Amino acid sequence: MARVNPSFLDEVSCSSDFNAFACMNCGVCTAVCPMGLDLLPRRLFRYVLIGLEDKVIENTETIYTCLLCKMCEENCPAEVKIAENVKCLRSYINRKVFKL
Amino acid sequence: MKDRRIGVFVCYCGGNISDYVDVNKVRDAIENEPGVAVAKTHMFTCSDAAQQEIIEDIQNEKLDGLVVASCSPKLHLFTFRAMAERAGLNPYQYVQVNLREQCSWAHRDNVELATDKAIRLVRAGIAKTRLTEPLSTLRIETKPKVLVIGAGVAGLRAALAISDLGLFVFLVEKEPEVGGWTRKWNKMFFHDQRGDDIIDMLKDQIKQRENITLFTNAEVVEKGGSVGDFSIKVRVGKDDTISLEVGAIIVATGFDVYKPAEGEFGYGLDGVIRLPEFKDLVTQSNGTINYNGRTVKNIVYIYCVGSRQFGDIDNPNLYCSRYCCSAAAYEALCAYEKNPELHQFHLFRDMRTYGKHEVLYEEARTRQSIFIRYEDEDPPVVERVKGKLRVRVHDQLTGGEELEIEPDLVVLVTSMVPRENDKLVDILKLPVGLDGFFNEIHPKLRPVETVVDGVFIVGAAQSPKTMAESVASALSGVSKSAALLMKGYVDLEPFIARIDTELCEWCEECTKACPYDAVEKVSVDGKEVAHIIESLCKGSGACIPVCPKDAIDIEGYTDVQVKAMIDALIQEAV
Repeated sequence: MARVNPSFLDEVSCSSDFNAFACMNCGVCTAVCPMGLDLLPRRLFRYVLIGLEDKVIENTETIYTCLLCKMCEENCPAEVKIAENVKCLRSYINRKVFKL
Repeated sequence: MKDRRIGVFVCYCGGNISDYVDVNKVRDAIENEPGVAVAKTHMFTCSDAAQQEIIEDIQNEKLDGLVVASCSPKLHLFTFRAMAERAGLNPYQYVQVNLREQCSWAHRDNVELATDKAIRLVRAGIAKTRLTEPLSTLRIETKPKVLVIGAGVAGLRAALAISDLGLFVFLVEKEPEVGGWTRKWNKMFFHDQRGDDIIDMLKDQIKQRENITLFTNAEVVEKGGSVGDFSIKVRVGKDDTISLEVGAIIVATGFDVYKPAEGEFGYGLDGVIRLPEFKDLVTQSNGTINYNGRTVKNIVYIYCVGSRQFGDIDNPNLYCSRYCCSAAAYEALCAYEKNPELHQFHLFRDMRTYGKHEVLYEEARTRQSIFIRYEDEDPPVVERVKGKLRVRVHDQLTGGEELEIEPDLVVLVTSMVPRENDKLVDILKLPVGLDGFFNEIHPKLRPVETVVDGVFIVGAAQSPKTMAESVASALSGVSKSAALLMKGYVDLEPFIARIDTELCEWCEECTKACPYDAVEKVSVDGKEVAHIIESLCKGSGACIPVCPKDAIDIEGYTDVQVKAMIDALIQEAV
């Protein structure tokens, strides 16, 4: 059971470039990821969209493992600005988890 | 039996028949049949050259019967009837024998037996032709007036279009106001026009037309007559009844909104409403959307409520209502426009925003609407826990994660259901489909026609439709009725039942068997006998086997003819 926090998305979207909603869950990003990260970014964005805050925080490690190489962004057919979105997430985690 | 002069023409169909049936052998076998004056073969009987030759044969040989052994009558019956007519032969003395679909194509493995069967089929055709009588079509003068039942957006639009064509319209509406559902609604997709504005505009136009008469608070109570010449009684107000004579009837009675059962997706709980009610809330809102004095921040939509039902439900609605995915996505956009702070969760089964409605879905996704697909077998659960609404659903895209959403409002995206119209169905003898909507003859090829000639079904009375589709269907009904009435008459096929009044003793069996109410009681020389109303009879033959006196026959398919055909079919092959 995962509690949905509807305003989570508002808290995460740090700029007008945040466009996780455009993701159509095709999975190209996961396929091309040089780090072989299963979670990033497809499922992660789904957690953010729905508002599963706990799930996102659980995956703090993974979010910081991302190289921001933009391989996924380059290949994304839905033009999701993945690197920018990950940056937004990191900034949120910095505030929430690391209290920076 | 007087001597007949019959022409028999066997077709090669460019090999379609002749590859598997020895066409010349067929011709040789039947050319000496009694009554056959000419027997020939053609490569393509339907070609202009062959038709011209046959016409010459009919005229030179003074033929009084014609058999063409070729393809299915579905393809060329009317071609050869017209050819017979051009040659001065009664078109109903022409008989088509199907040697292609029912012989050569079916028996490619055995030329010998196929040829034998072909001979028998042609013999049967000749036997029937020997007994043909000249018949003529039944001509009915039509009234240049149309009755439109229901003054919703489809009915109003249909009335205007008929009026444009110069025909007279009687528009009958049950409610005191015209406009139906559309009048009650605010902005509608795809054009963003307000429903009430559209209705006002149509109403203003209707008022200016001299050839449209509108009756409100009125109901059709009686229908008599048949295609082209109906007599209708309409009750107006409480007591007034008026009589109308019309040539065609357009039924535009619309739909109803599905009412979920108590507890279906939480229906009945405070905060669980249907899409039309939500539409009202959005319309009334200035900025925030309020429900029962509370501001709504989070909304859950549940799709397919009352559509595509299955399982343990009485009379489930199996159909998709088409309009609802697009309407809900559009309403989410309208709500977002009022309050961009809203969070909207759409729990859907399959997204069917077809055609350009796809744009609505795309836009909604970028405007704070989250779409979550649920499995048919695992529908969302709506409850009220400690005074708060709670919706539980599994999200497929996170691998089946169970989500718990606490919305302020649950909107059930309800289906369109057929209106309760039992009285009208009874009066017009309208065919009702398994889904409860009126039944068309063919959903794609003849979508507004019914088995009752001259009665057309348009708009959401036929099946769930968007407003644009309803209007398109209304206009289709208009062209169908205009095509019927502008000519001034209709010709009906003469293949109808005939009563032998000497044999008939009026036992009522035929009346009971007739699905078209075409049998009435008359008195002939003081004797009560059955009489067929020609314009209503469809020649279905339902009355024939039930007659204890064998007093009924179908023109063109008499018992004698059918027996002669059977005899010819089983005759020893030569």
